[in-house]
Amino acid sequence: MSTSHAEHDHGHGSANGDHVPHVLPFKVYIATFATLLFLTVVTVAASYVDIGHTGNLIVALLIATIKASVVALIFMHLKWDHKFHGIIFVSALLFLAVFIGITMSDTEFRGEAEAIEAKNPVDLKDPFKAQRTGDIAIPKEAAAPAAAGSAAPAAGSAAPAAVPAKH
Amino acid sequence: MSAKAEALGGAGESKLSPQFHVAHHFDKADTQFDAGRMGVWLFLVTEILLFGGLFCAFAIFRSKYFPSFVEAHHHLDRVMGGINTIVLITSSFTMALAVRSAQKNETKKTTLLLAVTLACAAMFLVVKYFEYSHKIHDGLLPGGNFTAADFASGHPGIFFAIYFMMTGIHGVHVVIGMGLILWILLRNQKNEFSSRYYAPVENVGLYWHLVDLVWIFLFPLLYLVG
Repeated sequence: MSTSHAEHDHGHGSANGDHVPHVLPFKVYIATFATLLFLTVVTVAASYVDIGHTGNLIVALLIATIKASVVALIFMHLKWDHKFHGIIFVSALLFLAVFIGITMSDTEFRGEAEAIEAKNPVDLKDPFKAQRTGDIAIPKEAAAPAAAGSAAPAAGSAAPAAVPAKH
Repeated sequence: MSAKAEALGGAGESKLSPQFHVAHHFDKADTQFDAGRMGVWLFLVTEILLFGGLFCAFAIFRSKYFPSFVEAHHHLDRVMGGINTIVLITSSFTMALAVRSAQKNETKKTTLLLAVTLACAAMFLVVKYFEYSHKIHDGLLPGGNFTAADFASGHPGIFFAIYFMMTGIHGVHVVIGMGLILWILLRNQKNEFSSRYYAPVENVGLYWHLVDLVWIFLFPLLYLVG
């Protein structure tokens, strides 16, 4: 509430249409600087505490994110700036998360599908057979009569055809 | 506060940023100022995505060659990295204060603060120079130039390739930032900036804070956790 007020003040503060700056008190900068130095010491100290590699990574990223937020909000004046500039900045971070998240959902699981497919080869001429015969959804005992008759020999003949295709 | 600034603006109208005028397609100075700043924010977004690609590469190869990353990151000097972190945070602090003193028409103080920021940036590069020359001496350069052999893990070169690429591109940003700071320092000495017009100081400041922001993530990821 108070921030939108300040925004308003400097938007219409000047009678002759000049820009009137929104000057922050000096102590705000000193406090920010002290916070950043303190968090730098904390992040170095935390790296000496062994809480597992993932734990250390999470702690380091968490502290870095707090530091970055302090810089963006106060030094870069986002806290008092137009909301739209904040939206621009946050949307960049969202796209970064999409970028890294989707890329890693690929690279992290490469090679896993091949192992599953080799064990359970797909008939390229009839890719949905597994679904139709209940290979996936229905428990083995229930699907057994149907699979025993027609699906089993078909899956056997499809296997040699599917394996060389992968190499 | 605004009444005081207005009084100041009224009294010294002829002295404050005399060359500044509002372009005719803007209704007032505020709109022009905001438009410029929004443009800089959009540019900073592209910078985030530029470094984002490198952070993505770091994430992928860290998870793929984890033992190599852990072993290789011990070759970085965390004392030097820590000093550079403090130097860069200090430069961000003096840059923010330079914007503040420009807002307050304290021209001489702005020049001094910009000079301190410039000195911090130079010091950052000097520390970086010592780090790089040490690593080049140890044969830790990327790709085919990686000649160090005393590693137990299989792919330490990939860590150093990413290290040089990330800190190198960050270093280029520091050099460009120094040029920009020098540019506004010289313009400030010509009394171009005041409470009426300080957009270039603020916008160069935004860029400089982003350079600091990237380093805030680079330091723990490369030097501390690996």
